[in-house]
Amino acid sequence: MGFFKRKHEPKKVPEGRVEGFYKVTGSGKYAAEYKLENVCYAVLVGSTIAAGEIVDINTDNAKDIEGVLDVLTHRNRPQIPAFADEAKAKRAGFSLPVLHTNKIFFRGQPVALVIAETLEDANYAASLVTVSYKTDQAKVDFDKEHATVPIAATGKERGSMDAWSNAPHIREQAYTIRNQVHNPMEMHATIAVWDGDKKLKLYDKNQGVNNVQQTISRLFDIPPANIEVFSEYVGGGFGSGLKVWSNVPLAIMAAKQVNRPVKLMLTRPQMFTLVGYRPQSWQNVRIGADANGKFLGILHQAKHGTSVFDNYGEGITRISRLVYNFGNLKTESATVPLNLGAPTWMRGPGDCTGAFALESAIDELSYDIKKDPLQLRLDNLAVINDPDTGKPWSTNFLNECMTKGAEMINWKSRNPLPAQTKEGEWMIGYGVANGMWFAGRSKASASIIMQKDGSITVQTAMTDIGTGTGTGMQNIAHLELGISHDKIRIKLGNSNLPAAPSQGGSTGLSTISGAVAAVCDALKMKLAGYASLQDAIYKDAKPESIVLSDSGIAYQQAGNHLISFDKIFSKENLQTIEVEASSGPGEERQKYAFCSGASHFCKVRVHTKTGKVKIDRHVCVVDAGYVVNKLAAANQVSGAAVGGIGMTLSEEQVVDSTHGCFIGGDLAGYHFAVNADAPIIEVDFINKIDPNINPSGAKGVGEVGIIGAAAAIANAIFHATGKRLRDLPITPDKVLLAKS
Amino acid sequence: MEKQKYSRRFFLSTSAMAATLAFIPVGVKAFYNNVKKLVIPLKEKMAIKLSINKAKYNLTVDTRTTLLDLVREQLDLTGTKKGCDHGQCGACTVHVNGQRVLSCLTLAATVQGKEVTTIEGLSQGSELHPMQQAFIECDGFQCGYCTPGQIMSAVGCVNEGHTHSVEEIKEFMSGNLCRCGAYNGIVQSIQKVAK
Ligand code: FES
Ligand code: FES
Repeated sequence: MGFFKRKHEPKKVPEGRVEGFYKVTGSGKYAAEYKLENVCYAVLVGSTIAAGEIVDINTDNAKDIEGVLDVLTHRNRPQIPAFADEAKAKRAGFSLPVLHTNKIFFRGQPVALVIAETLEDANYAASLVTVSYKTDQAKVDFDKEHATVPIAATGKERGSMDAWSNAPHIREQAYTIRNQVHNPMEMHATIAVWDGDKKLKLYDKNQGVNNVQQTISRLFDIPPANIEVFSEYVGGGFGSGLKVWSNVPLAIMAAKQVNRPVKLMLTRPQMFTLVGYRPQSWQNVRIGADANGKFLGILHQAKHGTSVFDNYGEGITRISRLVYNFGNLKTESATVPLNLGAPTWMRGPGDCTGAFALESAIDELSYDIKKDPLQLRLDNLAVINDPDTGKPWSTNFLNECMTKGAEMINWKSRNPLPAQTKEGEWMIGYGVANGMWFAGRSKASASIIMQKDGSITVQTAMTDIGTGTGTGMQNIAHLELGISHDKIRIKLGNSNLPAAPSQGGSTGLSTISGAVAAVCDALKMKLAGYASLQDAIYKDAKPESIVLSDSGIAYQQAGNHLISFDKIFSKENLQTIEVEASSGPGEERQKYAFCSGASHFCKVRVHTKTGKVKIDRHVCVVDAGYVVNKLAAANQVSGAAVGGIGMTLSEEQVVDSTHGCFIGGDLAGYHFAVNADAPIIEVDFINKIDPNINPSGAKGVGEVGIIGAAAAIANAIFHATGKRLRDLPITPDKVLLAKS
Repeated sequence: MEKQKYSRRFFLSTSAMAATLAFIPVGVKAFYNNVKKLVIPLKEKMAIKLSINKAKYNLTVDTRTTLLDLVREQLDLTGTKKGCDHGQCGACTVHVNGQRVLSCLTLAATVQGKEVTTIEGLSQGSELHPMQQAFIECDGFQCGYCTPGQIMSAVGCVNEGHTHSVEEIKEFMSGNLCRCGAYNGIVQSIQKVAK
């Protein structure tokens, strides 16, 4: 069934992404860019306290402003049906009863929405809304609060903690990471358009149109079929678009209130409080090894922040269960409720945080044992079976990632001792760390519409947030069918198209490749059906022996004699040929465990006087099965590594414990890596097919490029300076103040 | 005109704070609001003439409208992106009289009589600009949202001659943030065109 078993090779190397032209010319339409007649603008007013109640809201001054159409508050907004009933709200999976309560859970929570003719009018009027509050004591300080929250077992314990209490080498350390914020470059935005009372169009920035459709259907009590969601171009997400946030129901309420299309665009500061973040965390890792460096056991404990109104938990300790063989293992965790906006999945959720602690601790151990950190890892990798479930890995080439990466960065040239290599005022160091991500797959559908000229459109509701899903689909369709790339169009990101899950967790391509392969087979069979009316031998044709080309269909058993599409269409008097198919994971999931893996190698220089860290080289070697599109996959990985550089060296949201707000909640205050912060990232792939995961043999690469990156950098900083930095981000002040 | 003691920004930024202080006496609040009205003038419109992508426009604009909101919200030239609205990201980069400029920090009223080029006007006819072509070939983007700004800036970077090394390109392109981290391809695209 898999196309990798097929004979025909790609005929033409794709010249770029399917949507490349539209992106470089600025003609692709992102959510806030659709032109709609009579559209008006909504601007949010956020609460200025972190906990308490609204006592009074004065919107008179705002309403007096020329151009203002209305101001919504919890007192006058149209009712969202699900918020009248707690059980319904729960089913809708929407935790913030936005504008349906006078309670304040976090600073920045929407308390009013100004609707006006122009953006300028709405912005100005929003500054005139005044709110008085009764303020409660807010809990915003994670460091202070987490000590009061008890920790509990998470996942099955392996062996016992006593078994290795006398291990010759034991390391125990705590690691901390501040809040980090997704900040996709496109800010979340929604245009809501009602058509009568029961039909709704939403132009929205998200990572899953069907998810938006379902959530809004439940919230507003409208059948999903009456809601059309457009997300044809999505300006990044990194997880922030996996949930439906308050801007969507707000825009819908506003559009209902003024009976016009309403456009609501979040501002960059609002992006820091309203659409999730990676929560602040504390971890403690105790790890033990015998005299030769064989791992004996691990205790991994983790706590992270969540919000008081929406308990979000991420599996920080999961990574410790996967990558290495630990005969004895215990993992514990807890969430710490705070008066902050709700956190959510952010690139490599859980594992990215966990890997920093695990891979740092292993590194610390390696210097205790005086064993090469590369070798220590290689000796303990679990590449045969998933140590957690005992199932064999379908494929796991993490060991090859390590050896290849070591070669690329010339690991053996490194001085084994830390703090030895100097170049002028700079100290040089090398670090390594691994990352792993479970390779998930879900069910999805796709359809193909074929035109008379033999060109096809492959379509699905799945979004492409920049990962190259559409291009991957085109490649797969080309390989499956033999039709040339320029005759294959891709349509994505509309909820009326065949259903697909949200694009996240590196599952997009893995999921959709199955559906594309299935629908390609369906097209072949449909065409074979028509062909059999002209040549009966086609009756028994199987997809594998049917070959399509730009002009027609051929069948091995029919001597590869071509029946042209033209003939089929005209004989049967067809306008188009349409097929749809679904595909999802099957029993292979019972037999095997699936993962993508990556090894990160980093060469840093650290300035002895300023503490500045510069990444000289960053190498990332990835095992993610078959690589469908090398250029886009490498771009994903290098982009994730750039994200890792920001995470390690500069990204942090510090909470002001007096006012409950984030300090510097904009792009001048929150520093993710700019071009000059990253070297040219060196990426390579093992590129060996995973024969069991899906018909394409490809696994996701979006997460593994960042999971482990932080530890590789921190480990390199240790190697350069002899200073172990266990608190992210590693800013120059911390480097200077740390003791070696 | 009277000399103003407090700036417009003071009132915009203190309003939110004042709103929280429920205990401020009503009289003080009323006074504050009165003064604020003087400082933040109500909507004013003015006529401007400018040229965007070689087309002449005679427009009446709100004096508060930025060049970015003008092109995106009123002229349907949505290729220019809004990533922060505060001069912190470069997504809104356009050329004004041939120089790269942040359109979110440029009031529309100030481009009177000037020549503005947006991504829509970068290429001549149906041919792509070499920089656009290079971005496709080098995969210099992922989500594409920062891309028009990157490309406008990249053209500026080449014109300014800041392309002697990878480091120099990186330095002079660091005003354009890319959260997807497509910096590899961005640098390669510029090297390709600069050759
Ligand atoms: S939108 Fe202008 S610099 Fe960010
Ligand atoms: S391509 Fe997505 S932000 Fe640059």
